[in-house]
Amino acid sequence: MKKLVLTLFALALIPLAATAQDKITLKGKELFGDMRARHIGPALMSGRINDLELHPSNSRIIYAGTAGGGVWKSSDGGATFSPIFDDYVQSIGVVTLDPNDPDQTIWVGTGETWTRNSVSVGDGLYRTTDGGGTWKEIPGFENSERIASVVVNPKNSNEVYVGVLGALWSDSEDRGVYKTTDGGKTWNKILYVGPSTGAADVIMDPTNPNVLYTSMWQFRRTGWGFNSGGENSAIYKSTDAGKTWNKIHNGFPGGKLGRIGLAVAPSDNNRLYAVLETEDKAKNGLWVSKDAGKSWEHLNNDFGLVVRPFYFSRITVDPRNPDIIVKGGLSGSISRDGGKTFKNLGQMHSDIHDVVFHIKDSDIMYAGTDGGVYRSWNGGTTFEIVENLPLSQFYHISVDDAEPYNVYGGLQDNGSWWGPSSSPGGVEARDWNSVGAGDGFRVLKHPTKNIIYSEMQGAENVWRYDVDKNRTKTIQPLPRKGDEELRFNWNAPMAVSAHVPDRFYMGSQFVHRSDDMGDTWTIISPDLTTNDPAKQDQSKSGGLSVDNSGAENHTTIFTIAESPLDQNILWVGTDDGNVQVTQDGGKTWNNVTPNLVGIPANTWVYHIEASVHGKGTAYAVFDGHTTGDMKPYALKTTDFGKTWKNIITDDIDERAFVRNIQEDYENEDLLFLGTEFGLYVTIDGGKNWSHFTNNMPLVAVHFIDLQKQTNDLVMGTHGRGVIIIDDISPLREIDQEILAKDVHFFDTEPITMVEQGGFSGNFGAETQFVGGNKPTSARIIYYLKKRHTFGKMAMEIQDMEGNTLTELNPGKSKGINVVNWNFNTTTPKMAAAKTFSFGGFTSPRVPAGKYKVVLTKGKNTYEHIIETKYDDTAITTLAERKKQEEMTQEMFDMVEDLAYMVYEIGEMQDKAKEVMENNPKGKKTAQKLYDALEDLRTDLVVTTGDNYVASAEPELRERMAELYANIAGSYDRVSGAQLQNYELIKEEFENEKNRYAEIKNKEGKKFMRFLEKNDMELSMDSKEEYLEDK
Amino acid sequence: MKTSRHFLSVFLFLFVVSLTNAQTADEIVDNYFENTGGKENWEKLETLKFTGSLGFQGMQLPVTLIQTKSGKQLVGAEIQGQMFYQMVYDGETLWKTNQQTFEAEKNDAETTENYKLTIADFPDPFLNYKEKGYKIELMGQQMVEGTETFKIKLEKKPKMFNDIQEPNIEYYYFEKENFVPILVEKNVMIGPNTSQLGTTKLSDYREVEGIYFPFSIIEGVQGNPDAQPIVIKEIEVNPELDDSIFDFPK
Repeated sequence: MKKLVLTLFALALIPLAATAQDKITLKGKELFGDMRARHIGPALMSGRINDLELHPSNSRIIYAGTAGGGVWKSSDGGATFSPIFDDYVQSIGVVTLDPNDPDQTIWVGTGETWTRNSVSVGDGLYRTTDGGGTWKEIPGFENSERIASVVVNPKNSNEVYVGVLGALWSDSEDRGVYKTTDGGKTWNKILYVGPSTGAADVIMDPTNPNVLYTSMWQFRRTGWGFNSGGENSAIYKSTDAGKTWNKIHNGFPGGKLGRIGLAVAPSDNNRLYAVLETEDKAKNGLWVSKDAGKSWEHLNNDFGLVVRPFYFSRITVDPRNPDIIVKGGLSGSISRDGGKTFKNLGQMHSDIHDVVFHIKDSDIMYAGTDGGVYRSWNGGTTFEIVENLPLSQFYHISVDDAEPYNVYGGLQDNGSWWGPSSSPGGVEARDWNSVGAGDGFRVLKHPTKNIIYSEMQGAENVWRYDVDKNRTKTIQPLPRKGDEELRFNWNAPMAVSAHVPDRFYMGSQFVHRSDDMGDTWTIISPDLTTNDPAKQDQSKSGGLSVDNSGAENHTTIFTIAESPLDQNILWVGTDDGNVQVTQDGGKTWNNVTPNLVGIPANTWVYHIEASVHGKGTAYAVFDGHTTGDMKPYALKTTDFGKTWKNIITDDIDERAFVRNIQEDYENEDLLFLGTEFGLYVTIDGGKNWSHFTNNMPLVAVHFIDLQKQTNDLVMGTHGRGVIIIDDISPLREIDQEILAKDVHFFDTEPITMVEQGGFSGNFGAETQFVGGNKPTSARIIYYLKKRHTFGKMAMEIQDMEGNTLTELNPGKSKGINVVNWNFNTTTPKMAAAKTFSFGGFTSPRVPAGKYKVVLTKGKNTYEHIIETKYDDTAITTLAERKKQEEMTQEMFDMVEDLAYMVYEIGEMQDKAKEVMENNPKGKKTAQKLYDALEDLRTDLVVTTGDNYVASAEPELRERMAELYANIAGSYDRVSGAQLQNYELIKEEFENEKNRYAEIKNKEGKKFMRFLEKNDMELSMDSKEEYLEDK
Repeated sequence: MKTSRHFLSVFLFLFVVSLTNAQTADEIVDNYFENTGGKENWEKLETLKFTGSLGFQGMQLPVTLIQTKSGKQLVGAEIQGQMFYQMVYDGETLWKTNQQTFEAEKNDAETTENYKLTIADFPDPFLNYKEKGYKIELMGQQMVEGTETFKIKLEKKPKMFNDIQEPNIEYYYFEKENFVPILVEKNVMIGPNTSQLGTTKLSDYREVEGIYFPFSIIEGVQGNPDAQPIVIKEIEVNPELDDSIFDFPK
């Protein structure tokens, strides 16, 4: 009968078992667990700021809305900032505090509003009602792309106006001024003038919330030009809380207007300032109205007032003085006479986008620039940079194979740089080296020589920098007799060859190849672009104000990829949508563009990744955002571009356009996708994608590299600097079998115990950004099927005999967990004393060899073996090292022997004291013992003083521990001086032991006899018991 | 009969699970107390003594934490045989050990006042939170440590920092599957990590005299969440104590 039941039971289980075999697909945090990205900045040149916002009553609190790095908050008056918006899109237009609840209610409009060519995009409006702890998206603004203003009625928090600048690259009806009267539940569009005109500024009269002003701006950008201005640009005023609007242009010149910056003086609501962009150059610049917009008077058209209106249309009026006004600009301008005359603001990073005055003291100002936030303490004359805003905007990065490897890259308006991926004390500002001026883009290390290639915008200069000799040479391809004019992209492509170290490629409309590091060039292709003349006249770009910076150069090559398997295979992608490939080193080119699937014509080919997994295999990603098409596109070919396969799925945000893809060198199915909204990862060749969000903001990822020796994924982000995911190799191994296990340890190669011991010094770290280091410890990596919450879970390192060496704190996340072990065992137990023995804080390192990682989880135990090895750069012989290990152990034991001796002494003294206090008959005997032991104890350990300048002379414990620590902590052989010192300490300890034995034999014996006679006992822990309790 | 009852409880269980989408903050907190021993048991707590070890710069330091309903508290770590105290409160004075002299020193007045505000947290801030003047709100669901959680905002009485009053908000992430908090977040207002988000990861819940407590507590900040791990080895419920251990040494 029982059998039958069992069989039935088993049968019943079959369908269950079948279900259990269903494919396990983990997404995002479920898969990545506690695998986290680390940020190395840099912050020394920071990045572009879009908007600054002050708390109205707490002068310590400042918010910075950044162009590509999210929202940052300072609670210390601008000394330091912390990010508070990392889970959302990082391109910020405006930050506004609710004046009725400024501690808790903050509005964030996303999408930067200074519309240069490289701007990121936003995805709507957000609000927190708990000071930034939780953000909610406010429905209705999903397609707003850029929000310029949020204005809250200071008398009614439910009444809010939102100025939507809107789409930069396309028509859109999601623009204009919106109003809610129910705190954001419903919205009405209350001012709209057309699909190409957005609200550039919405401001409210400081005393009458029914009076509003709006500047509307007609504008459009394409991949090859920019147009600011039109009939629709205007200033509107409403006196009925937005029901009706009227243009207020009395005094303005007729014709088209461009971008208009607008401000009302907080201390005089009749005083309005506007900066205009008009058809009449003489009438550009600053205008004032002293009658709340009824009439206008032209004040000033200095360079600082008219420069690049699309980039600098921000006016700030001193909250206490209507005559003091500041305007953003190349340097920023300040007037103290109501706008009649201006001087430049003090020296700081150029391109000032916003300036705010301290709420109580106008001497204190904050400025938001292309290079971060600056503070002034003297009314704008001197500025100092905030040093902990790592907002750097990389266009491109690359890595080398040094140890630790370096990261190279170029930044928007901030030159080109290289710096270490790890550095003693963390990656600091001072670790970064400049390697180019202007805007920086691609920076590449020569594969074998200590030479770096870098460039500035449009390949105006391409530099070859000899690091050792500190010499620079400009090497860009130059036109030869009979050549067509060369068209280089603003972000011109460069590539080095993996096969011929001195080979260097550049792309204009042609591919240029040099085999002598850029000294001489050969053109190895025809024009590979569409060569469409309609996209080649940038001389009039800009609209009302010509803005021909070169940023709009088009019909150019944008990416060049040499096959890592064959030097004759080159892939080229152009900004106007062509994919071209040669298999014979450039003799013949095959335009494979017609074979692409699902890619709209002329969509920017942002990156091609030539695969290591097959000569004909490559990935191409396409970015259509400059036509308003934000969709992600990525294709794979395995046959030199004859056929292509889409590898994008619905897992990826439909607006997360793609700029980069990186393949894994070992597992063809493991791919990393750099999108406008952060990093996506697939472990199955693109069937499923996971958003990686562990300490990884939704920042635009412009370039990804995978460092070969470390398997570190290195990302150049456009707003948060360089972000690294250390060692992605566990992702290579994940398969269904692993995912089905409760616990799975990932195999690791033998781990080098890195031997480094220098100095770091951390001056300035209080207020400077310091990038995290890659741990040099052993990384123990495992997968947990389920988050561990109930019951005990512990991890320890054991030797192969099963002796516990140290305990570690295991991660408990579902998914991948990473635990670091620094190769150390535990510190010795130190003798009790009055002060610390600093030598006692050192733990011995383990010898090279195999160790067991033992994970206990509830009743189950999981074991995994790891192997450690000595550093190849060791400065000792193996024999010397063994001697060092042996002596370390000997000293360790000696330190603990002393500790136990002092413990015994203490216990005996306690007992003696007890007798002295309670047994008059034994007082004398006890006193004698106590005194003799105290005499000894004061020679063994420090019994007076403190841990600082009142410290006592070191006693035996201190000197012994010092020697122990110096031997244990050294990577060198035990020195002669240490050996001599060892002899001294050993002898001294022997003498003290003898002294102790004598006391025990003399005073001790008498005392013990007394105890025995009086039926008293002296009990103490054995040495094992004593040491166990560490 | 037995079978059907079992069947029923399974059914109920499924029913509860399917309702999780419509949880309120109060239901989540009630479930938490229900799953960790019941409010009645929690209310019986007068004193809690935790002993364990703290990972600190490669060392494992023995630590003791004692909290009482009256607010008396002691946090001590043993370093080379010496006790190093922090946040000790005797009912009047909040004090700590100076690491240079190893003498006791008073905390500053503002820190002491802010500490007094936390006395009501014992034994758990959510227990009868309304009577304490606290507010809670369900802020949504979020994935934490690879698992789905409910995010609950706990707003306590505001604290003062250098004479400016600041909101006192903490976020508790209750694991959806079992309703116990696995992560707590709050803004750090003082010290070198000012302005950063402080995090406390909780796990290894185990039962002691009918109540479930986390035995693994990992303190850190947003960028460095594993900075300070504490492993609890023993929890004593309502132990007999000599009150003088809390006294500020005169």
